[in-house]
Amino acid sequence: MKHFLIRFATPIVLIALWQLFADAFGSPRIPRPSAVLASAMKLIGSGDLVTALVTSLGRVFSGFMLACAIAIPLGILMGSVRTVERNLDPLVESFRPVAAIAILPLVILWLGTGSMAAIVIVAYAAFFPILINTIAGVKRIDNNLMRAAYTMGVPPATRMWVVLLPAALPAILVGMRIGLGMAWTAIIAAELAVGAKAGGEGGIGQMMFIFYAYSVELNGIVVCMIAVGIVALVLDRILRAALHAAVPWSRL
Amino acid sequence: MTQQPAPKITLAHVRKEFGGTPAAVVAVDSLSLDIQPGEFLAIVGPSGCGKTTVLNMLAGLEPVTSGTMTMDGKAISGPGAERGVMFQDYALFPWKTVVGNIGFGLDHGPAGHGLSRAEREARVTRAIDLVGLKGSETKYPHQLSGGMRQRVALARLVANEPKILLMDEPLAALDAQTRIILQDELLRIWGQDKPTSERRTVVYITHSIDEAIFLADRVVVLSSHPGRLKRIVDVDLARPRNDETRKSRSFAELSQTIWELIREEAYRATMR
Repeated sequence: MKHFLIRFATPIVLIALWQLFADAFGSPRIPRPSAVLASAMKLIGSGDLVTALVTSLGRVFSGFMLACAIAIPLGILMGSVRTVERNLDPLVESFRPVAAIAILPLVILWLGTGSMAAIVIVAYAAFFPILINTIAGVKRIDNNLMRAAYTMGVPPATRMWVVLLPAALPAILVGMRIGLGMAWTAIIAAELAVGAKAGGEGGIGQMMFIFYAYSVELNGIVVCMIAVGIVALVLDRILRAALHAAVPWSRL
Repeated sequence: MTQQPAPKITLAHVRKEFGGTPAAVVAVDSLSLDIQPGEFLAIVGPSGCGKTTVLNMLAGLEPVTSGTMTMDGKAISGPGAERGVMFQDYALFPWKTVVGNIGFGLDHGPAGHGLSRAEREARVTRAIDLVGLKGSETKYPHQLSGGMRQRVALARLVANEPKILLMDEPLAALDAQTRIILQDELLRIWGQDKPTSERRTVVYITHSIDEAIFLADRVVVLSSHPGRLKRIVDVDLARPRNDETRKSRSFAELSQTIWELIREEAYRATMR
């Protein structure tokens, strides 16, 4: 009970301050906790919020898988072959600071609006942390492990599967964890590319955009923000647990 | 050593440089040496004498710059399963259990070719018994003490059944008591109770003079910068060797002899 109180003291105090602040100003532009709660109940009750989150999670996972499928093999190649890294590193480093939202116009022009565009934007956001961590993981491998396998006569292709990959796996998984976080963060931007849809069909990002651009519902926007935050937290916790289970030898 | 059989390994005028000309650093120079089959050969010398470089060249991890290095008359051009290497930091695979580590070479390398699964498992079990790791089969390296990890590395080496064991300061990271215990076990595994024909050939790098004398038939003393052969000291202590050997006068005398050979350079190395 005591731990419970300590853990939740900060958010409770913040919400109380928020309510006091909103009451003191009384402006309609300031969303109030009580109104946000009511809005949340309505969105949950209608099923719209759940539909939106499920739709968005589907896109995030698709984009995330796409990013993994490209970034992990590429990272292993860049981490193990010097010349490949030298050639591609400037390209990677110059694209890395370009935010996911900045590629939105191009993606819409190429792919049109729809799920595919959103998935590509999400994949772009998840790509870099996975790539960078995979490269670092491969480069940091204890050279003696490779040499040990080499002296035991293990052929090069086998060495890659039985030494390089497992040795780099903890770093790759860390990259995946960060990448999934980035993918989820990018979903709001990504779903600007799916076009307006009623209810939750457009995903959480589109829902938020509709609250902003069409119905002007401040409380709904805040509900979406909180939902995004909570899902992010849950995703991270699940991934962290999965990570520990996947690499019990590595104390991450 | 009156009637010598053909040497197992021959080094002739071996030279090793690192880095390109003209800034090349000479690590080993004009090293010539015969290693007999079944011999336990230790290499000692001050830091910078190229001991590890010699071992890496024997392992086939580093090419010689000039000179020749042959095994059974054939030039050593790369690693081979008949030469097993034990690294100073053990190089255990952290994601493998004790069993997985010991069986690694059998599962993925030529040492296991032609062996059935049961035969491979039997070899791993034998290696585990040999080094006294029973009960730790399913543990991961990070769950083991330094001495236990060393045993795993030794068992992995033995399980592959190489003809030649190349060991790079395998006991250096251990505390003094553990080291003494493992020195005794090492001699047992090498086969000091058996006739020479049944012993493996060992090349053992160490910075400990006493360890070299206790273990080896001959101690190769190298000088540093570049690594050159200073002298080969025959260790004519009776086998099997034990705690009595360590206390004997001839042991102390040999230790003194070798220390005098490298003292000056060892001092200089500490000032560098």
